[in-house]
Amino acid sequence: MIRRALPSVIALAAFFALWEGACLAFGIREFLLPRPSVILASVIGAWPLMLSHTLATLTTVLLGFAASIIVSLPLAMAIASSTTIAAAIYPLLVVTQSIPKVALAPILIIALGANEAPRIIVTFLVAFFPLVVAAVAGLLAAPPELIELGRACRAGRMQELLRIRLPFAVPFVFGGLKVAAALSVVGAVVAEFVGADAGLGYLIQTSMAFFRTPLAFGAVVILALLGILLFQAVSLAERLLFPWSSGAERPALAA
Amino acid sequence: MIAIEGVGKRFAGRDGGAVQALEDVSIAIRPGEFVAIVGASGCGKSTLLRLIAGLAMPTSGAVRIEGTAVTGARTDTAMVFQAPTLLPWADVLRNVTFPMRLMHRAGPGTEDAARALLARAGLAGFETRLPRELSGGMQQRVAICRALLQQPRILLMDEPFGALDALTREEMSLELLRLWTETPMAVVFVTHSISEAVLLADRVVVMSPRPGRVVDVVEIDLPRPRDFAQEASPAFQAAAQRIRAHIFRRPAAKLAA
Repeated sequence: MIRRALPSVIALAAFFALWEGACLAFGIREFLLPRPSVILASVIGAWPLMLSHTLATLTTVLLGFAASIIVSLPLAMAIASSTTIAAAIYPLLVVTQSIPKVALAPILIIALGANEAPRIIVTFLVAFFPLVVAAVAGLLAAPPELIELGRACRAGRMQELLRIRLPFAVPFVFGGLKVAAALSVVGAVVAEFVGADAGLGYLIQTSMAFFRTPLAFGAVVILALLGILLFQAVSLAERLLFPWSSGAERPALAA
Repeated sequence: MIAIEGVGKRFAGRDGGAVQALEDVSIAIRPGEFVAIVGASGCGKSTLLRLIAGLAMPTSGAVRIEGTAVTGARTDTAMVFQAPTLLPWADVLRNVTFPMRLMHRAGPGTEDAARALLARAGLAGFETRLPRELSGGMQQRVAICRALLQQPRILLMDEPFGALDALTREEMSLELLRLWTETPMAVVFVTHSISEAVLLADRVVVMSPRPGRVVDVVEIDLPRPRDFAQEASPAFQAAAQRIRAHIFRRPAAKLAA
């Protein structure tokens, strides 16, 4: 584990060292590109502020992520269970994906007011689509012979779904969850850019307005960490809850 | 026991036309008999198996099991496919008992019966392993145990050893024969290996491709228990030659010369 992580740790350290050295060597000004050490110092110096903004963003991320799970899985089951429903819903889904969420956010804020709701909806809209697609693929991934075995045992559609199709979908769903986790951080920041009085996205905007570049960079780093943490949490949940799943199917993003 | 009477099956093709998969197929299978069905790809062998299993309905004719027309899945037939198709999340024991649990037929003795069956198939000690920890041959053994646990009176096998390597295949063939002699059930075994069909079966049904018709039924007059030494016997060779001639549509004499 440590051995496998070593190259990436060295690469990361080298990257930051190069950054620090370049800033010093070329005398780059702080409001253009702050040095890593300055960013770190500014984050530590303003930690109560950072913490409150981080928590605000985390709330939006988690609520939006939860909403995308709650909506996506039943939606995927409906799509997988009938070609008619699939034909009806899929075009709508594609439409929601073609609309830029940044464009939608101000409209939602006017309609729903400047509160948490429009931010959660934007986060949800950014995150849910890959989850639906992955879950549908998973529900249709059960081998036809196994479905036949179920029919030969006179299993009803509900039994077929619960005892064959759903467990087969688990590795796919977790692949989708990992993508959705990373995307919900993106969605939350997009929403905060447009309308928020707290959160890391809001912090980046206000910091840049006053040329407090180190603080904005600090917020970006925390956002990255948030994304990684969420992704790893999903991987961990998969390993603990479905130990057979991690080797069953390897989506491109599997950790 | 199984009466296949003038069965035809027509599928709607993708281009709107119809594909005649089976035409006027009649076979009578006796209780406890081992029947192999041989034919080139696309002769409707698997379709025929699905008709017997009640997973599909014939467009003409009828399949009767003990006088009753098959109109749906029955509890006295069990199926083994080419791929083991085990549940990747369930251990070997739970895989074997899965159909029984699905049919609400699992009782207090089911698990013990499953263990005994696994032991007979050489899988004792593997009960708590996951399918991906087993080799292909072992996985297929689990699939066969899964079918046998249902105590079927008719075991339907769709190229069950088709995905296995040649050595495992031979070993499994003999094991299947052993399990069959210990169990009172008829076996319908679809394969495209002529020697496998001759080695295993009491009778070999030879089918023609598209539309699938019965071109010959060959009685295999070899003593049981069978083994691979019999492959060299004249009776074995004659039967294999006769089947091969039908499949390649050439006179037997020419091939023998």
